[in-house]
Amino acid sequence: MNRATELLEKEKNEKDLNPIPEVEVKKLSKTFGKRKVLNKISFELEKGGFLSLFGPNGAGKTTLIKIIATLIAPTSGEIRVAGMDPTKNSAVIRAKLGLISHSPLLYLDLSAEENLQFYGTMYSVPNLNERIDELLDQVELGHRRYDLVRTYSKGMTQRLAIARALLHKPSILFLDEPHSGLDPHAVDIFESLLDNIRAEHTFIMITHNIERGLALCSKAMILYNGQIVFYQGKEELDIDMFKSIYRQRVKGDS
Amino acid sequence: MSGVKQIAAIIKKDMIAELRTKEMVVSMFLFVLLVMVAFKYAFGDSDNFSTYAGGLLWVAFLFTALLGLNRSFVHEKDEGCLEGLLLAPVDRPNIFFGKMIGNIIFISVVEIITIPIYIVLFKLSIQGSIALFAGAIILSNIGISTVGTLLSTVSINTKMRDMLLPLIFLPVILPVLAAAVVSTGGIMAGVTGEKLVNVFSAMKLLIAYDILFLLVAYALYDFVIGE
Repeated sequence: MNRATELLEKEKNEKDLNPIPEVEVKKLSKTFGKRKVLNKISFELEKGGFLSLFGPNGAGKTTLIKIIATLIAPTSGEIRVAGMDPTKNSAVIRAKLGLISHSPLLYLDLSAEENLQFYGTMYSVPNLNERIDELLDQVELGHRRYDLVRTYSKGMTQRLAIARALLHKPSILFLDEPHSGLDPHAVDIFESLLDNIRAEHTFIMITHNIERGLALCSKAMILYNGQIVFYQGKEELDIDMFKSIYRQRVKGDS
Repeated sequence: MSGVKQIAAIIKKDMIAELRTKEMVVSMFLFVLLVMVAFKYAFGDSDNFSTYAGGLLWVAFLFTALLGLNRSFVHEKDEGCLEGLLLAPVDRPNIFFGKMIGNIIFISVVEIITIPIYIVLFKLSIQGSIALFAGAIILSNIGISTVGTLLSTVSINTKMRDMLLPLIFLPVILPVLAAAVVSTGGIMAGVTGEKLVNVFSAMKLLIAYDILFLLVAYALYDFVIGE
């Protein structure tokens, strides 16, 4: 083996051992007026990881997600998404992101198919009609595809929101309290969809549901007043410590 | 090419939603009709109505347009759709052009229905070129929609959005109002000679205004729709 091949092999092994994190945040701060919403946050999330993000209202969770999603710019600090700088590659990064929120992000006066056609065009999804058929089958809404979203139940709307978020095959999925308002059937569909796509996606989930959040995560974080007060991987997760901090910071605040 | 498809998709989505709800065009139409009836009661028998007919028509159209522009981003805000749109890899100016062209269509539809009513109601006529008259109206609508779409994007994220839009829109749109009145008023009266030159000058002003604000919107929309 010559020297160049040896170096390439070594570099490849190092990359395999230390892959570029899917989301990398360093000393990130965000200020709105005089209010510091995020204060020097740092963390990394590996490709395929699942970060469950806990914290009271106003802790900065949504702001953090909006910054990672390139919707707002940080005041200071560094951020890399899939190794790219959101301020320079925002469109490329946005194409890799999906959001399932407690708001469905759907047009109520359009049908399921029209909503997916619209978002599919926004994301330039190839073979859009086939993709729409596939997703509507997965979320069990094929029979209601021509009905206006306004006529859907909360659970059906949320299932369609899942289809919308997965339409462009994002590699990073943000879940913003995704279980909120879901009926048990919709929760089952959602969790089974999540299981199916778990391997090929990186997840960041905001939740107040400790059991589900801890069951799903590879890392758990509690944000409080714009700062990380708890951050551990699942292997070393100290559940008693987590619950004690959560009770102090979150329940004490609400 | 995908940019054109995205703009077309935004326009199509707004058209479909409006055809189903009819809330924007119908409320605009009813409003402008009521304003015309009010004008009829106030000025109906005036001998020299034709001299200020153009001015009154455009005042009515401006306030009618405001009604529509105020609603134009409400659907996007409902259920977080604006956030969904902003999360997509769409160049922000494409969102602007989609919404702006949609607004031009809505305003134009209302005008196409109400201008004949206005003419009949006040016994007016278009003595000049109909094509020139339509051109002046289209140029005015582009100006109103460009500024209106830009400023309604600013106002949608504020708590007092219904109040804010008229306050920031009306001062900026005054040059369009003046040029629209001169051009359409002159064409309706069938002016010739030096007055026809004024009509063309007003239309040139409209073209310059439209280009200026289209460029301003293109340059600033990323910032305006962002934070």
